Amino acid sequence: MKFLCIPCDVKMEVQVEGIMPEEKQNLTMKFKCKKCGHMIAMLTNNFETEFVSKLGVEMGGATDVSKAPMAAVSSSLAQAKEELKSKNPEDDLIWTEEAEQRIKKVPFFVRGMAKKTVINFAIEKGATTIDAKLMDEVREKVGM
Amino acid sequence: MKTYDDLVGDGGSDIIGQVTQLGAKLRSRLDKIKHKVALMSGKGGVGKSSITANIASCLSDRGYKVGILDADLNGPSICHLLGVGNNKLIKKDEGIEPGLGHQGIKIMSMDMLLKSADTPVMWTEEANATAVWVSTMESTAIRELLADTNWGDLDYLLIDMPPGSDRIDNIRSLIPELAGAVEITIPSMLSQHIVTKSITKNHKMGVPIIGLVENMATYVCPHCEKEGKLFEGEDVQKLSERKKIPYIGKIPFDTRVSQSKSGQLFYTEFKDSVTGKAIAETVENIEKFIKK
Repeated sequence: MKFLCIPCDVKMEVQVEGIMPEEKQNLTMKFKCKKCGHMIAMLTNNFETEFVSKLGVEMGGATDVSKAPMAAVSSSLAQAKEELKSKNPEDDLIWTEEAEQRIKKVPFFVRGMAKKTVINFAIEKGATTIDAKLMDEVREKVGM
Repeated sequence: MKTYDDLVGDGGSDIIGQVTQLGAKLRSRLDKIKHKVALMSGKGGVGKSSITANIASCLSDRGYKVGILDADLNGPSICHLLGVGNNKLIKKDEGIEPGLGHQGIKIMSMDMLLKSADTPVMWTEEANATAVWVSTMESTAIRELLADTNWGDLDYLLIDMPPGSDRIDNIRSLIPELAGAVEITIPSMLSQHIVTKSITKNHKMGVPIIGLVENMATYVCPHCEKEGKLFEGEDVQKLSERKKIPYIGKIPFDTRVSQSKSGQLFYTEFKDSVTGKAIAETVENIEKFIKK
């Protein structure tokens, strides 16, 4: 799917930074026209989201999340083995149980971006723990 | 105004590139495996997994390198049958190491990815998870189990299918070169009725059918090896004639099959028994089909 800015007649581009999708499989993605800066949001319901997720791809481009072996399985199983989980430098950040559950509810194909947004926000803020409150702040900041 | 083709690339996600990469990863894995065979039945409880494990054992006994993909995501039993416990997973950059079961048979199963032996496969612990979501995750899981396992070079990859015939669509699209499907039934009318649907579906989809295996065809006494009837039903050979598929195995029920401990396969212990010989004959027929 591509989005066109009609006045400028140029392609709009997905905004990788700052995405914070809704949980429960509904999705909001922002697209921006590079020429005039106009932004739009694409809203999908859970069925549309699920259809895309079947492809096993990530919106905004592949991240380390999807490149890891059994990425979708390990991040989507309610109770997967610990050793399946990816280890990254930002793993020093502590995720509370509630925050972990919330990020798990984000559809797989945008989970990488959502996680990156939250982590970047936490690092910028100097936070060492990611909790539900911080996630709410992220959502408020990115306007989703 | 520009049209779809005028815009180079996509919205920035490179979906086509990602799909191509996923396909290439799967292909590089499958290219090292000579023959892929699905073992299926429309009906549950006909002994698919047990037959799969014993066929794997027989193939391995004949010098082949064998792997089993446990495609029964919600009722995995291959780990138990081949003695692969809930051990620590070995994860490398290029993939997950398969479990090494009895006779060195390589295994990948959901059982290996779950926290403990009694953990169910749940994609979310939310009670209102939609069936569509679960189905989507199952398809993704099958692809990852195939593509992200370091199978290495194999002569045979056996795919232990779940009950029903719905998963074959998924397998066929992932493995277009699938050598074929082995259909398994027991003599009961009900089982044959359901397996007929699976055979018809495979015919319609163009999935080659290697043949029909009649499991629990008779009861064989483990002491005197006398055979007797176990189920009343129509002659399974007639079903194979009616559906125009080869009848490739008549495997008697031997109580020692179900008595085998985890990791001990009937075939290796009792290959000279009536049932052991029937398994070997089935394997010979599969080999003949593959060599054709």
